[in-house]
Amino acid sequence: METAQNFMELSKQVVGFIYPNEIDIQWSILIVVYPYITGLVAGAFILASLVKVFNVKELQPTYRLAMLTALAFMLIAPLPLQLHLGRPERSYEMFMTPNLTSAMAMFGFVYLWYLMLVLLLEIYFEYRRDMIVWSSESTGLKKWVLKILSLFSTDISEKAVAFDKKTVKIITIIGIPSAFLLHGYVGFIFGSIKANPWWSSVMMPVVFLFSAIVSGIAMVMLLYMIIKPLLGGKIDMKCLDKVASFLFYAVIVDFSIEVLDFIHRLYESEESIKILSQLVTTKLFISLVVLQILMGMLLPLAVMAVIKVFKLQEEVRKLLYFVCGLLIQLGIFSTRWNVVIGGQLFSKSFRGLTTYKMELMGMEGFLVALALLILPFVILSILIKLLPPWKKEELAGS
Amino acid sequence: MKDFFKKLPEQAVRVVVVFLVLAVVVFVIRQFIIPPEMKEPALQRASSEEREAAKEIHYAGAQSCVQCHDKEPEIKKSGYHRDLACESCHGAAQKHVDNPTDVKPTSPKKRDYCAYCHKYNFSRPTGFPQINPDMHNPRKPCISCHNPHNPKPPTTPRSCNACHAQIERAKAASYHALITCTVCHTAPEKHKISPRTVIPTKPDKREFCGKCHDKASPRKGVPTVDMATHGEKYVCWQCHYPHTLGGI
Repeated sequence: METAQNFMELSKQVVGFIYPNEIDIQWSILIVVYPYITGLVAGAFILASLVKVFNVKELQPTYRLAMLTALAFMLIAPLPLQLHLGRPERSYEMFMTPNLTSAMAMFGFVYLWYLMLVLLLEIYFEYRRDMIVWSSESTGLKKWVLKILSLFSTDISEKAVAFDKKTVKIITIIGIPSAFLLHGYVGFIFGSIKANPWWSSVMMPVVFLFSAIVSGIAMVMLLYMIIKPLLGGKIDMKCLDKVASFLFYAVIVDFSIEVLDFIHRLYESEESIKILSQLVTTKLFISLVVLQILMGMLLPLAVMAVIKVFKLQEEVRKLLYFVCGLLIQLGIFSTRWNVVIGGQLFSKSFRGLTTYKMELMGMEGFLVALALLILPFVILSILIKLLPPWKKEELAGS
Repeated sequence: MKDFFKKLPEQAVRVVVVFLVLAVVVFVIRQFIIPPEMKEPALQRASSEEREAAKEIHYAGAQSCVQCHDKEPEIKKSGYHRDLACESCHGAAQKHVDNPTDVKPTSPKKRDYCAYCHKYNFSRPTGFPQINPDMHNPRKPCISCHNPHNPKPPTTPRSCNACHAQIERAKAASYHALITCTVCHTAPEKHKISPRTVIPTKPDKREFCGKCHDKASPRKGVPTVDMATHGEKYVCWQCHYPHTLGGI
């Protein structure tokens, strides 16, 4: 009854002609949250790789935080999908009976590879020496948790630590293409839907990847600015400027690629162009033009350009970086929204548009989505308690 | 192999062991917990066929009915319900086939059952026989006039009110009560069989009403108008509804 009522309500908001099965959209806010979270994982990891592979020394203070952020978001990444599909307890069967021809099933393996062989291994080798030291210093539950996490390893000889460092570097080198694969996959799954002109584009994996890098770097920057002072440390301005400068370049690349995609679509001017331009100028105007492009991209770009040109004071810079970070998060979330929801708002007949009405409660509702967005931060806070990203002397020294 | 493990630092050995344990767990689950039909498509198909075959059979199929019943299928063969399976109305009959004397299939006798298909619904195809159950001989069971095995009425409806009861009742209380329907409408014989494809006529000329209602008409006690000036280009029934009391 409620479904019928909802359907009747939606059908009144349909513009033009639309097939009956297109009125109520199937991929909801949870499917918006999913690429947003995976994007943060890939982006945070790319930032971490700048330290280990490309030897950007200034970024060292963010390395461990970036890794923990990637892990915290990675652990939650499949949850929106599982809640959307229902029966999450059956998801392990995906690995037991692999379907090699299904792109969606392959995500399971990309995810597993990235979680087990990249993130967990890298964090293990990065923290192993410290975990042994900390477990010997602490007592009770924490001691045992750290012992288990270090796999009861005891060797902290120079030779062993050198081996750890070398391994971390090798894993990061493997991790970069893996991170590209992880989020490129998410773009691939949309880009390969031939029947949908809003999604079907070879640019999709690349657009997703760069927006992921942007959101990940911005997220680590925000977290660095919040968490370090909370733990009693001082923000390293050299590091922050460097992160912001990488963020600036990433936004420029991301913006150029999106503009390229846009011009390409306009020039191709396929039969879908009319309905897509109607979509962009009506239903997606706020989320695409205002939130994604103006507030999420051009405004932060302008602000960061101002910071680069004029030598502003530290405090002003911090404030502006923080605002930019927030705006970029908003912009990238809107990007995900515009791709996932936008792609379902127009009819395959190219003659009409529908509306998405978000539920508040319920499995596919706003509250669940909000909980899924908060959960990674809870996990991150536990991870930071257990595996501090900065040593005491680092906090005191900086 | 032993030498290789000895050369590896102890932490790497631990990691390798963890991965080996995980690999063994996956192997054990796949080998012993996941049922074989989930791993092999051919087996999956066979097992789903088996599962379907094991389900209890409810419907016997029309072939089973004709083995014992001669009369009804013979009538049904040439009627409009020829493409309808017996069990569509009589319900699942496998139990009756297994035990013909004790288990009898149902036969719907109430009006609402026929209405599933024959109640007026604008989405049904043109020409499909449809009625409004509230108007069409209310309270009378359908099967008193229609034999469900050959549902065409045994006699063509004698008067129009069989289907147009509402108009008939309204007309009975109007000034036109004594005028029969056929005075104004010509209904082709086929209209009674295909009411929606063959439609009766309506008066299409002003002069038709003028035969009684023109000033020059010889008829007495009937309201008359000057047809030359009244109503101009309109046909009379576009303003005056002829079936109701005042006719206006």
